[in-house]
Amino acid sequence: MPWFLHLALRQLFPPGKRFPAFATVSILGVALGVATLLVVQTVMNGFGEEHRNRIRESFGDCLVLSAQPIARPEELVAQLRRDREVTSATAFAEGPALARRGDFSGVAAVRGIDPTDPAQPARRYIHGGTFDDLDDGRVILGLGLAQQLRVRVGDKVELWSPVMAERAEKGKAPLPAEFEVCAILRTGFTEVDNTAALIPLRRFREIWHLGPRAHGIILRLRTPAQAEAVASRLNVGHPDLVFRPWQDIKRNFLEAIRFEKTMLFFLMFIITLVASFSIGSTLFSAVIRRSREVGVLAALGASQSRILALFGLQGLFIGALGTGLGFLLAWGILCFRDSILGAINAVFGDGDMVASVYQFARVPLHYDAMDFLAAGLFTLLVTTLAGLVPALWAASRKPSEAMRDA
Amino acid sequence: MPDLVLHAVGLAKAFAAPAGPLPVLVDVSLEVYAGESVSIRGSSGSGKTTLLQLLGGLDQPDAGAVQVAGPRGLVEPRTCLGQGVGFVFQNYQLMPELTALENVALAARIAGVPSALASADARELLGLVGLGDRLAHLPASLSGGECQRVALARALINRPVVLLADEPTGNLDERTAEEVMQLLLAIVAARGLALVLVTHSREFAERTDRRLVLSGGVLSPA
Repeated sequence: MPWFLHLALRQLFPPGKRFPAFATVSILGVALGVATLLVVQTVMNGFGEEHRNRIRESFGDCLVLSAQPIARPEELVAQLRRDREVTSATAFAEGPALARRGDFSGVAAVRGIDPTDPAQPARRYIHGGTFDDLDDGRVILGLGLAQQLRVRVGDKVELWSPVMAERAEKGKAPLPAEFEVCAILRTGFTEVDNTAALIPLRRFREIWHLGPRAHGIILRLRTPAQAEAVASRLNVGHPDLVFRPWQDIKRNFLEAIRFEKTMLFFLMFIITLVASFSIGSTLFSAVIRRSREVGVLAALGASQSRILALFGLQGLFIGALGTGLGFLLAWGILCFRDSILGAINAVFGDGDMVASVYQFARVPLHYDAMDFLAAGLFTLLVTTLAGLVPALWAASRKPSEAMRDA
Repeated sequence: MPDLVLHAVGLAKAFAAPAGPLPVLVDVSLEVYAGESVSIRGSSGSGKTTLLQLLGGLDQPDAGAVQVAGPRGLVEPRTCLGQGVGFVFQNYQLMPELTALENVALAARIAGVPSALASADARELLGLVGLGDRLAHLPASLSGGECQRVALARALINRPVVLLADEPTGNLDERTAEEVMQLLLAIVAARGLALVLVTHSREFAERTDRRLVLSGGVLSPA
């Protein structure tokens, strides 16, 4: 082992001291910075990932739309299902309607779907009732809309479509379509939950006088992340259709999440930078405290580069151990995140925001190896520099000065 | 005629002060031969330590030059720090985190000696200075006299031709100082080293071959 490495280890961890103050405080400081950075990044990744999943599950991986209703949707569905990237395709139709129950009414975004499709995304977000009960006389309502109409599972609602208004204009008696609520939908997307009304596609076609046509097709893809590329490819063969990948459907929302993550990373970066300066100042005072020893080492013939290595290595060790401990700490915090959040909520008297606002069962997580790699490398770089800068100052002094001033 | 091992000519050194440069050494010349011991006395602040640092290459003179004997003739001391010249400081200057053995071996390791060989040499030298049973002790658990013995062993490990000792007994009680001084002079004599001893003690100075006094920035015979 080179002498400067041996001495660096001894100076950091002097024999006979289980927890040397300088090393312990510095390593804990780095660990806290790294852990904070990683916890924030991982939770933000989790929120982003969860939102992306919900967008995909609510709207499909790719929406096939057209300026006019699709005349023969079954043919197109069969054709699209043959594509190697498409795992499922299902036609839908949608339109606004007035939903009413007694004295309460609301605007419903009615969607006609295939209730027999096992890949129907709504199946995952049933909050009450049963999806499989959906038939021509039943409807699934979004939670917000159901609350607005004061209905529960088993209650009846009326849907008034624009087609009925046309009948009224023609002097015919407009009869509303009556449905029994068979399930409540809760996706976590307010705009979906406040307006959604799902009925079978066949029934939708009847009410809207759509015939065999459909308004669009929902595609599920083998690789959802490749939706943009698949959409571009499919668009080439279907100039009359528009293929909208899920990334495009809620682009502003996704951009907002990404921007939020970037801003938080920036803030965490500044916090880590401040922590690094504090480590730098600790190392600086340590180097000054050891100024006389630096002079002695120079008097013994140690070169500037070796003296730099001695203190740079100490910074590197602090960074490496702090980063390792920070990884463990972050992992521990993330494992017990719900208990920690519960304790915080209990202290501040807040409700479960994750469930009530975000409608997640628990704080979402998504581990990204790049975040860990970036945090580790950044910390190692900063702590090594924090050791090198004061060492450069110390090593550049004449041995006589170093020994005299200490 | 013994070999010339230390040669200083016309050394001058001044330190910056608010009122202008403060001259410490004006014109100092010194020749030291192999096996010769030289003492330098002077009042506090007369520049004894500064002179020793110039002689050892720890500082650069404003004027003049210093040369010490190297393997290929006389060279500037800063080119062979830790090897041609051995230092013994008043405050021992040991690394507090290293044991006595490691402190001594460190000087050899810095000079590029392999670890095992450096440790063997250090063990032998510590035995020579009477600390064979204190190898694994940290400086904090050694007495002042023992620390100075470790420092002496460290100064000797790279087989220097000149030993520069800056008040090596300044921090020791009378009895320990006497023991350390006896040991220092005995080792220097046994190994044929040149010694430049800076001391306040007239008694210790009397034991050297040549006695000098530094006053007004000039070196003169006592």
